This record gives sequence, structure tokens and C-alpha cells, in this order.
Amino acid sequence: MRPWLGWAFKLSLVGLVVLAVFAVYLDAVVQEKFSGKRWTVPAKVYARPLELFVGQKLAKADFLKELDALGYRREGAVSGPGGVSVAGNAIELYSRGFQFYESAEPSQRVRVRFSGDYVAGLTQAGGGNLAVARLEPLLIGGLYPAHQEDRVLIKIDQVPPYLVETLVAIEDREFFNHFGVSPKGIARAVWINATAGQLRQGGSTLTQQLVKNFYLTNERSLSRKATEAMMAVLLELHYEKKDILEAYLNEVFLGQDGQRAVHGFGLASQYFFSQPLSELKLEQVALLVGMVKGPTYYNPRRNPERALARRNLVLDVLVEQGVVSAEEVAAAKRKPLGITQRGTLADSSFPAFLDLVKRQLREDYQEQDLTEEGLRIFTSFDPIMQLKAESALADTLKRLSGRKGVDQVEAGMVVTSPENGEVQAIIGSRQPRFAGFNRALDAVRPIGSLIKPAIYLTALERPSQYTLTSLLEDKPFSIKGQDGQVWSPQNYDRKAHGTIYLYQGLVNSYNLSTAKLGLELGVPEVLKTMDRLGVEQKWPAYPSMLLGAGGLSPLSVANMYQTLANGGFNTPLRGIRNVLTAEGEPLKRYPFQIQQRFDSGAIYLLQNAMQRTMTEGTGRSVYNQLPRSLALAGKTGTSNDSRDSWFAGFSQDVLAVVWLGRDDNGPTPLTGATGALQVWADFMRKADPLPLDMPVPDNVVHAWVDANTGQGTDPSCPNAVQIPYIRGSQPVAGPACGIQAPVNEVMDWVRGWLD
Amino acid sequence: MNKWLIPALTASLVLGGCSSVPRGSIPVVDGGSSIGSAQSGTPGGYGNQSAQPQALPEDSGVVVMVPGGGGSSMPIQSFPAGNAPLDTSTSNQPWSAAPPANAQGGYVAPSPSGIPSGGLTMDEQLDGPVLALLTTAQQQQGGGDLNGAASSLERAQRIAPREPQVLYRLAEVRMAQGDAAQAEQFARRGLSYASGRPALQASLWNLIAQARERQGDAAGAAQAREQARVSL
Repeated sequence: MRPWLGWAFKLSLVGLVVLAVFAVYLDAVVQEKFSGKRWTVPAKVYARPLELFVGQKLAKADFLKELDALGYRREGAVSGPGGVSVAGNAIELYSRGFQFYESAEPSQRVRVRFSGDYVAGLTQAGGGNLAVARLEPLLIGGLYPAHQEDRVLIKIDQVPPYLVETLVAIEDREFFNHFGVSPKGIARAVWINATAGQLRQGGSTLTQQLVKNFYLTNERSLSRKATEAMMAVLLELHYEKKDILEAYLNEVFLGQDGQRAVHGFGLASQYFFSQPLSELKLEQVALLVGMVKGPTYYNPRRNPERALARRNLVLDVLVEQGVVSAEEVAAAKRKPLGITQRGTLADSSFPAFLDLVKRQLREDYQEQDLTEEGLRIFTSFDPIMQLKAESALADTLKRLSGRKGVDQVEAGMVVTSPENGEVQAIIGSRQPRFAGFNRALDAVRPIGSLIKPAIYLTALERPSQYTLTSLLEDKPFSIKGQDGQVWSPQNYDRKAHGTIYLYQGLVNSYNLSTAKLGLELGVPEVLKTMDRLGVEQKWPAYPSMLLGAGGLSPLSVANMYQTLANGGFNTPLRGIRNVLTAEGEPLKRYPFQIQQRFDSGAIYLLQNAMQRTMTEGTGRSVYNQLPRSLALAGKTGTSNDSRDSWFAGFSQDVLAVVWLGRDDNGPTPLTGATGALQVWADFMRKADPLPLDMPVPDNVVHAWVDANTGQGTDPSCPNAVQIPYIRGSQPVAGPACGIQAPVNEVMDWVRGWLD
Repeated sequence: MNKWLIPALTASLVLGGCSSVPRGSIPVVDGGSSIGSAQSGTPGGYGNQSAQPQALPEDSGVVVMVPGGGGSSMPIQSFPAGNAPLDTSTSNQPWSAAPPANAQGGYVAPSPSGIPSGGLTMDEQLDGPVLALLTTAQQQQGGGDLNGAASSLERAQRIAPREPQVLYRLAEVRMAQGDAAQAEQFARRGLSYASGRPALQASLWNLIAQARERQGDAAGAAQAREQARVSL
């Protein structure tokens, strides 16, 4: 008896020591992970914040669309941040406030009054005028690490009312009383499971659940259960309930979004409601807490009935437990689930733009910094423009779908702001929401006549040799190129047009006269102009380059036209404005940079010709859709056998490039004018841009010219038209014609030119 | 210019503003201080909204000075319309960060004279968002936060891309950041929008002169100074 006891004593002593050593080890594990950086957070990518100021061009419908995307609640009277009430043309909202790179935007009550498509009034709640205000930016995606865990970290003091109470009532009623494990809870679980004859309820405390997710694998065994219990006790020993609860709220798994795992209540709130967690109401809280038990089974998007039943069950428990009054719960139960449409936050929403952002970021950051440090990336992405571009593409392709072969046509599109080089929207595929081959960046295709402005610009930079009314010969010719091949360009209509004014070659996109002009100037000179326009290319100086045999991506074309649109000032296209750290500290800026590459006078003349392309040349069908008063400049492009249909053009404040073509490079039924231009025009109609209005440079004069002869004339003469020239290159003014009764028709004709 | 032309021009400006969508520079009110209240309905082109200028002193005639060469060390100042708003004598001051400017202290409330100023009808008057952002940028620059200042100015440039005063300030901040090449470029861009504004043109040319000096281009700097002199 005695030796047996002794052995037992010794053995248990050894066991205790082993257990103690194990406990010390576990303790180290628990503390190490909990006190360090607990989670890696992917970088978050934001759209541009919508600016509000009096005089801003903004349609009320677009404004409301943005507010909806930001998860603003429509209310009768605005109750708090994230609320909006609409009364006719007056919109009152309570913004959420946001930390931007340059300053913090306060959360404030703002009244916006609309008149037409303009903001006519902007006032604070007190009635004081507000010069400018910003909404918080739309989150458009993230940069996820390989394991694709995503979360929005929250602090315990940011949680909405009832969240903690509901969570405790549903998952662990003894949470605030136990020491990590709950004998009472285990007893209840055992009893319930025993009476039900199956595993229905686990006795895990919140602490145990956290330990399980945080430190352990998903294995189900008794030894793991024991380890879990020990670690839970150790965790409780070292940390306060508040810290444990906060960690739980951030760790818990609440759903799967494609590849991405949605962790924590902060992200779940954004993911399901598009709202910050702090704004959630009782019924929303109940839904999320109810989902903890089975995020997939109770997924409110996939199984709305199940989720609703679960939510209402949770609400009933709250009444039972005396957390909330029966009336409040009855009201909450009448509310719908209130889940936003999928896609507002999903990282697949705007894959082509995110692709651009990622490429730019990878030049400056390690992959690990992007996926783990919670960086905040602020971009120039304009969701309103993007949606307009997407619908212009979809509508136009639908309209053209009667033509054979259009269904095989793919698309790429880039929208920028010509005045600062910011990329606002990108379409990489005719199904723009699907990530894949990003044609806007990667489809390098022959640009056809899009190159012609570079040729004419090269000429117009030499005002002593070339003006808009210099004469060109549009007739067939052949030359032997450096590659030994004979090159005989042809016009699209296979006709020669004889002697024409220089600008007419561009406006009508004549190949013969343009190629001849390009050869006069020299192909290397034209390629040099392309370089200066901002296009990096290593094209051989073959004559065929003059008609656009060289390939560019839509983004590169946008770069080229940017310089033409911005008065000869080159601006590298940018998609990112700046980057903040997870703590909101400024980290990096991508500054606005410009460089004058061309004389603004030469650009002015070229823009004049490119405007005529729209009013009387190859782009004129644009005015079937748009008012004549809207001055636009642009150029069509079509490659051989209509394999590529291009259009690039701009207004004062919007530049857009559209490419249509087949991935297999097969012929399409579309020219630049019948394909890409139609998408462009529809987009411009939706974007409602400002008319092009380049200030007249000091070295430009307008001279009266006889439209028939190209000689200088007087405004009193018949056929007199006004043409811009670089000062000194204009024709000598002719004598007045005396007859002071220029027929109205002539005046109209003149006005037509002036427009 | 004949005196009667001023009201006539003013009237046509107002009418033009009412009847058409303004181009480019919506939030910037160009015009003499005397017509501040008459014009308040026009900047957005949205028609007959009731005027609200009386309650808004900063809308009715604040003239923002374009600081001269040493401007980065001064708060934005406002002058009653008519004062020569330029100080080109301080071009040799260093571009160092200046002491923080008091947010409000920089403003001198304009005396609402109602007298047509004549001299500066199209010059140096800003309102609303652009003025607010230029002021913010000035404070940031004063506090040594050049990146913040540049960022606020880029924000202003997005709102009023063709306002030469914004480009002028961007050029100044680039200069303070030590990027003389970009300073010159922004000043040149500002010039392309400063037609008919001789005082502003002179300031821009002076800035170009300093930028060229900084880049070691003495001849170019002298040329720019000559241009500044001619502009005035």
C-alpha cells in the first residue's frame, strides 16, 4: 500500500513538473503572439474622395450613387454619421470624416443644394457657408497576401451599442465571470448534448474560441482541447477581458468572398453593409453575431431566409436575457436584412484599375509591405466616370451587335483628366468586372491614324515651312524603304484628293498626303515627336510607321494625347496620389509633374485641326450624339483590314482612349469611326464634359483667309474664313472688298468656321 | 478704356455667366470687387439661385495677394481691390520654411467700398474652395509641411485647373522643396493662363528667373527678369 502511494506521489510529481514546463512553454507562446503584432493587414486602395463646393459640376443622381456606394443610410432626418436625407434638390448628410494625406476631414453635418447639374449651395448644419468639403473615399480593393486573409482592425471603443452584449449573450454568457474556461458552460453543453443525443453545443468560451483560431489548428482531439483550455486560462491570467474581447472581434471568421477570407466584425460590417462597424443598428449587429456560429451556413447573401431566421432568434435571446426591450426587438425584427449588393467592396470590382495601381506600387514597395502593413493607398480612380465608361461600352456594343463579328470584339479603354494626368477610369475587357487580360495596359496594337497628329505637329513646329493652309499633294506614290520593300500607301477610300490644305490631310485622315508630309519631315523626326509626346517606343524608322504600323497600348496612347490636350505640357499618367501608413502617417506622395515639350502655339494650331476633325472630318458622327456647342478634339484610327478600331480624343476636362479589336488579331467589321468613336461619343455624352477651350497663346494670330485660294483676305470679302497662324507665318491681309453686304450665308459659313 | 465700358463689360459677364456653362474655371470668380454681389449667382452657371453674399464677407471682395519672391514666408494677405498686390523686391530671400501663419490673422477684412476699382478688374480675386485651399496650403507651408502644402495645392488645382494663382503657388512650393526645374515648369504653365493679368505675369516671370538662377542658368534668369519688367 505504502510503496504504491509513494510511486503514485512521485509519478504525479513528475507529471506536475512536465505539466508546469508545458505551461511555461504555452505561456510564452500565448504572450509572444498576443503582445506582438497580432495581424497582418493588407493594403487598402481607395478611390478619389468626392469634393463638394459651390459651382461644382455634379449631377444629383451621380452624387446619390456615390453616397449609396459609401453605404449612407437614407433617413427622414439625419441621425448621425453615415446618414443622408433627400428633399427635392436639397440633400443633407452627416459625413464620416477621414484622415487624408494632407489633412483630416472632420465628420460633419453638411447641406448640399443642387441646381441643374451643379452644386448651388454648400452649408454647415448651423447655416454657415462651407467653402469645400470631402466625402470619405470609396474603398475599391486591397492587396492580399497569399493566405488571403483580410480585415479592418477595430478598437473596442468603436463598437456599436449591443455588439458586446449580443455576442456574450449568444456565444458565452459567463464571459465576464469565468477565468478562461467555464465549468458552468461545459456542464450546460454536456447536458444539452446528452439530452439531444448528438453534438449540438460546444462549451467553448470566447477566450477558447479565440485561442483556437489564434494559436491552434483546426484538429479536433481531446489533447488539443486540453491545450486550448490551458492557453485560455493563461491568456486570461495575463490580459484583461477588454483586450481579449477586442482580439476576438478582430479575429473571428465571418465569411468567404471568393479567394478572400473575411475576418473580424470591422471588415464584415463593410463587406455586408458597406458601413463602418460603429454605425450598425441592433438588427445588423444581431445578424453578424448570429453568423459566428456558421458563416457559410448563415451567409445572408446566399441563404437569406436562414440568415433572417437566425437573426431573429438572436434578437429573441436578447429579450430573454433582458438586454433589449421587447418593443425594440419587435421593431428590429421588422427590418429587412439590409445587405448591400455584392461587389461594392469585393476586390474584383474594378480589376483593371487595381492592376494599374499594383504595378505602380510594386515599383516602390516590397510585396510584404503591401500585403501586411495595412498601408492606405489613395488613388485618382473616379467610380462615377468608371461606371459611365462601362455603360457606354456595354450600350454601344449592344447597339452594334447586329453587325457580324461584333460579338468577338474585345475592348480596352482609358479615361484621364488632361489637366493633371490623373487616370480616372480603366476598362480592360468587354466584361469589365472580370479580372484577366488587361487590354488597356497590355494589348499593344497598331495605332493606325492615331499617329497622324504627331506628324502634323512636327510640321506645325516649323511655322516658316508649314501652316494649317500650306498646300499638300494627295496623290499616289511609291518608295523603296530601308527594309528593301516597296511601299505604296493608299487612302481609305482608294482615291487621291489632289491639292489640299495641310489641315485637310489630318481632318480627313488622308494617308497619301500625310505619308508624303511625314517623309518630307523625315520618319526619325516624327518618331522623335512621339518620344517628346511621352511615348516610349523603339519603332524602326520605316515609312509604314507614318501610317501607324507601330503598336501601342491604350494607356500609352492616352499618354501621347495627354500632351496634346494639355497645351504641350507632358504629364506622366498617374493612378496613385499618395500613401499613408496604417496609423495615418504620410508615407509617400506621387506628385503632379509637368514638362513643357512643345510650343503652345503649335499645339493650338494642331488642336484647331483636331477640332475640325470632329466638326467636318472623320470624327463628325460624334455630333449625332452630342450638341454642336461642345468643342471636342480627337482622331480616329483604323489598322489594316479593320483589325483595330481606335479613337482618342479630349474635351477641356476629360480625355478618353478607346480600342476595339479581337484578341486573335482577326478582322472586325468596325473602323475607328464606326466602332471606337461610337463608344467614345456615348461616354462623352454621359460624362457631360466642358468644351475644349485652350487660351490663345501669345504667338498665335487669327488671320482672314480666302477659303478657295488660301490667300490673305479681308473679313468683308466673300469666302473669308479665320484661321490661326503662328505670328509671322500668316498670309498678308488682302484689301477690303467694299461690298458691305456679305450675304447671310457667307456669314453663317464664317461662323461655322469660327465655331 | 472708357469708363462706360466697365459696367457694360460687367453686365455682359453676368449675362454670359447666367446663360452658359462656364468653361474650365467654375469656382473662380473673375471680376471686380464691386460686382461681387451681382455676380454671385453666376459662377456655377446654375441660374437664378438667390444671392448669399451679404452674409459672406470672404465672397464679397477679398483680393488674395499673390506673394512676391519671398512669398513663402508670408501668410496669404488680402488687400482691398485696387492696391498693388505685388511685392517683387524680396526675391533674394531664402526659401526656408517660415514660422506658422495664424489661420485667421493673415486676413485683412476688405472694406466693402462698393466703388469700382478699375485697376484690377480681372486680377487676383479668388473665392470659395480655391481660396480656402490656398490658405490651408499656406498654413502647411508655414508650419514646414511642404508635402502637405503641395498636396493641398494639387487639390486646388483639381478644382480650378486653369487658375494661374494655384499654379504659381505650386511653383513656389516646388521651389521651397528644392525642385527648381518643376518650379519653372509650373510657373510657365501659369503664364499660359495669365493672359491679361500683368501683375501676375510679372510674378510668374520673377519666379522663373529665380528657378533658372537656382538651376545655374544666369542668362535665362536675366531674360526672365526682363520679361517680368516688360509685363508690368
